[in-house]
Amino acid sequence: MAVANLTRRRSALFDHPLPWLLPLIAILALLAIFPLFYSIWLSFYEWSTFNRQLEFVGWRNWATLFDDDRLSASLIVTFSYFAIALSFELVLGMGLALLLDADHRGFGFLRGALTLTLVIPPAVAGMMFLLMEDAEFGVITYVLQTIGLIDRGTPILATPSLALAGVLLVEIWQWTPFMVLIFMAGLRSLPTEPFEAALIDGASWWMTFRRITLPMMGKVIAIAVLIRGIDLFRVFDYVFVMTSGGPGTRTFSLSLYAWQQTFSFVKWGYGATLSLVTLAIVLVIANLFIWLTKVRW
Amino acid sequence: MVGPRYASTVRQIIAWLLVALFVFPIYHWVTVAFKTPKEIFDKPPNVWRFTPTVENFEQVFGISLGFGFGDVREVLPGGGNFYMAPRVWDSIVIAVFSTILAVTVATLASYALSRMRFRGQQHFVNWVLSTRMMPPVAVAIPMFFLFKNVGLLDTYTGLILVHSLMNLPLAVLLMKSFFDDIPKEIDESATIDGASRWLIFRRIILPMAKGGLAATAVLAFIFSWTEFLFVLTLSQGSIQTVPVASSTFVTSIGTAWGNMAALGTASMVPAFLFILLVQKHLVRGLTLGSLKQ
Amino acid sequence: MKDQQRKEYLASITDRYVRRKIGRRSFLKSASQLGLGLGALGMGMTRPFLPTAQAAGNLVPSDEVMAWVRDVSKPFAGTTLRLATESTPPSNAINSQLKPFFEEASGMKVEIEVLPLEQVLQKLTLDIASQLGTFDLYYIDQSWAAAVSRDVFDPREQLAEKPDLAMPDYNIDDFLPALVDGIVKYEGRWVGVPYDIPIFIMMYRRDIWEKFGFDAPTELEQYYQQAKAVTDEMGPDLFGSTGQMRSGHYSLETDWTAWLWGHGGSIFGSDRKFSGNDDAGLAAMEYWTRLWKTMPPGVTGWTWDGQGQSIAQGVAASMLSWGEFFPFFDDPKASKVSGLMEAVRVPAPKSPLRTVNETGFGEIPGIGHQGGSSLAVSRNSKSPDAAWIFMQWATSMDTQVLITTLGGGTGPTRFSVYDDPRVLANNRVGPGTTRHLPIVRATIAEDMGSEPDLPQWAELSSDTIPVRLGKYFAGDYESAKEAMDDIAEAVDRIVG
Repeated sequence: MAVANLTRRRSALFDHPLPWLLPLIAILALLAIFPLFYSIWLSFYEWSTFNRQLEFVGWRNWATLFDDDRLSASLIVTFSYFAIALSFELVLGMGLALLLDADHRGFGFLRGALTLTLVIPPAVAGMMFLLMEDAEFGVITYVLQTIGLIDRGTPILATPSLALAGVLLVEIWQWTPFMVLIFMAGLRSLPTEPFEAALIDGASWWMTFRRITLPMMGKVIAIAVLIRGIDLFRVFDYVFVMTSGGPGTRTFSLSLYAWQQTFSFVKWGYGATLSLVTLAIVLVIANLFIWLTKVRW
Repeated sequence: MVGPRYASTVRQIIAWLLVALFVFPIYHWVTVAFKTPKEIFDKPPNVWRFTPTVENFEQVFGISLGFGFGDVREVLPGGGNFYMAPRVWDSIVIAVFSTILAVTVATLASYALSRMRFRGQQHFVNWVLSTRMMPPVAVAIPMFFLFKNVGLLDTYTGLILVHSLMNLPLAVLLMKSFFDDIPKEIDESATIDGASRWLIFRRIILPMAKGGLAATAVLAFIFSWTEFLFVLTLSQGSIQTVPVASSTFVTSIGTAWGNMAALGTASMVPAFLFILLVQKHLVRGLTLGSLKQ
Repeated sequence: MKDQQRKEYLASITDRYVRRKIGRRSFLKSASQLGLGLGALGMGMTRPFLPTAQAAGNLVPSDEVMAWVRDVSKPFAGTTLRLATESTPPSNAINSQLKPFFEEASGMKVEIEVLPLEQVLQKLTLDIASQLGTFDLYYIDQSWAAAVSRDVFDPREQLAEKPDLAMPDYNIDDFLPALVDGIVKYEGRWVGVPYDIPIFIMMYRRDIWEKFGFDAPTELEQYYQQAKAVTDEMGPDLFGSTGQMRSGHYSLETDWTAWLWGHGGSIFGSDRKFSGNDDAGLAAMEYWTRLWKTMPPGVTGWTWDGQGQSIAQGVAASMLSWGEFFPFFDDPKASKVSGLMEAVRVPAPKSPLRTVNETGFGEIPGIGHQGGSSLAVSRNSKSPDAAWIFMQWATSMDTQVLITTLGGGTGPTRFSVYDDPRVLANNRVGPGTTRHLPIVRATIAEDMGSEPDLPQWAELSSDTIPVRLGKYFAGDYESAKEAMDDIAEAVDRIVG
């Protein structure tokens, strides 16, 4: 007993959370807080092409927000994109995870093959689908034409009613496996006893899923939704590569807008302002979600 | 959940079909890599029958296949911009080390978050999460000026740091949820036996969370592997990862589809190997996770 | 079989070079003795423009030029030069085929970062903002000339101030005057020298045109009739015309300007207000809308990539677009129409072109839309003299001849290059052809159109205008008039 006491006292340091958290706090403080404050500072400045320096513009960038049609248009696009993509990925991802969570022959291979989609850089994935959805040469277009869903030569990504769906196709294709991966890890770490008990009680599959799997997976699902939801709000690679935000502004996302202002037009100040708006929106939605679902970390 | 035999067969068929649907675009991309420029644009699209050629790979990786992976930057004097082997190497270095860094830091932190309570913990975790919410565009430019001042521009260290930063929120949250799944009684009984916190973490909890660790590492690796904007902004020519290098194929006289696909196909291999390596542990997580008494 | 032997020999010397058994110089020498140039090493560019055997023998830099480089670079051996550039034919030719010769002779190292255009602009801006001097040379798209003019050296001053560094036969007066005016001149200074000149020319399928008994289009309305006839007869397998009309993309704006200028319109009037909504502008829209119906339906999703493919794969029979594409069409490996394409000057405008005085912001109306760029030494560079040596070499007559014959597709910016025997020798069907260059030269001299110079132009040309034009083609406006009025309102608000 005396030896044990000694050991415990010597390692009292590790009983406090701080040493565990210190590396995390250090990196985040160094690399995450600085850009935030820099962006806030930047939102009161604007790069002047001709003077080749940042010039103070006061509240101008913030005032512009309230009179910006493109902003409101991009918000609508971003919200629709976010809602549709997230629901599909969530449901499909859960379905696939449950489907593949078995020890049939070859299922390990299937699980691995599914993660292949994630290895491709989103911009390249956008190019892949741009080629497949091409009106003349695309294989997806060809299949849809053959089964009579669209007319010959319809440019999916340039048709107002189809463009967003065309982009969502890559989105869902690439990120559903992300959900599967997380859900699978969650499913695999669940204890088996409750399921055995349910089996003995003769509970239906649906009942078991609703009463046991879902509640026990709660936190994992919440994390998947939060991370993917946050990333969905920042999505721009696909639209940038595939549609340039068109036709018109039908796929013009908030992040594409911020990117364009920052990179194409070198309006760093307004770009930073738009980014801060994105941050604020995501912050509100994420906290609302955490509050509503009562996730306790 | 093993039902009658036919249900199991149906399930297997559906699983194979669905996964095939997800794999098809990748198969299509791989065929593009092995096609001549003309065949890529066959009408109607030709997915199954074509004359395979390795020309795209030869162009992208220089000389002929299986050649000169040693002193790669020097093989072709000046290293043509379509000579991509060093780009794959840069990607591997950055992805592997940023994954190690992110997972290590996140594991330590999430163990504490899972096992100890402190005031403001909920807010702390929310704050960690919020560091991912900033659009990368807005992080890249401040980082450029910060890195310029501390000499991290165009270095592996700089990019590794930024990529781990980007992955930390996800890693912390995921690891915490996996630690939460391990019953606290295990810690408590070990404490009574006289083991220190560190020992419990190192010898008992960490091995049990292997599955979660694997999943987290896979995701961190993938996010770093596919990241574009930070590498673009914070590198200046001596380092370049595959996503940025891929954009070189978009030229003023059209896109070099075959070359882009060849690089994409080749760079899928190391990433996929990493995932397979790690996924073995994902399965083992099952047995360990259910070892609860 | 002979080719096989050459490849094997090449592999063996490369292997020896890698193992450092032979030096860089003898490696290069052996490689060029193979009569392959470096293209054969498989570092082929976008599309492998391997020189033909006949031309390859003399496709190495001239001894005189390399002797000068060797001589003048002595103090700078070991310097590393950096350049960020768009992926264009000259940059790719230099980077993957010609650079080694320069490095070998000068002892310098040249790192060329090839990126899409927008990212080049971002790199350049960050470099200027941070005064970091990462890039010794700037690749400057014509639309940035005004913005970066004070951050680069005027090459004429460099020639005058550094006579000891000047290349003997550099001859700065050799650059085509129209390009000097249109690309590099800003407020009396030269923002580098003209480096590359992609320009709109008319390209059509000779076999199809002959089949229909048509003459080459010389007038816009006639061109429409021909395109329509082809589409009516052969569509949807073959369309008469094609375009680069993706909503919200810069390429849509370039197509628009060609039709606009061709109908006697202009983007800005002399009062510096948007004038695309006047009568000439609306006539252009009426014409364009008709012509659009003769194009493949996918055209609204395409940038220049899809447009070029539609010709190369035999989906469309003609286009008024970047002449850079022509050698690609002639390359039998990449294209199904090798040898079938013909290049002619752009059709005559329907109404007389406006003069520069009738437009605003230095806009020059002309159906041959130019998208040129310049190369200049950065004032932030830490080794401007070394960079200046590289720049002279890269834009010298000899190098430009090699770029033109190796790289294929580039429009030379010097008079003398068009008449060089090596360039003329490639006047035949095949990859790296130069048979369209007489047309390019005539277009530069007679038909060239240049976009206006104003700081907001990047935003107007790649967002404001093409997004609204995209809306028009998506059917969001009642009429072309409504669309153009909307553009006018937006443009005038931004220009202020």
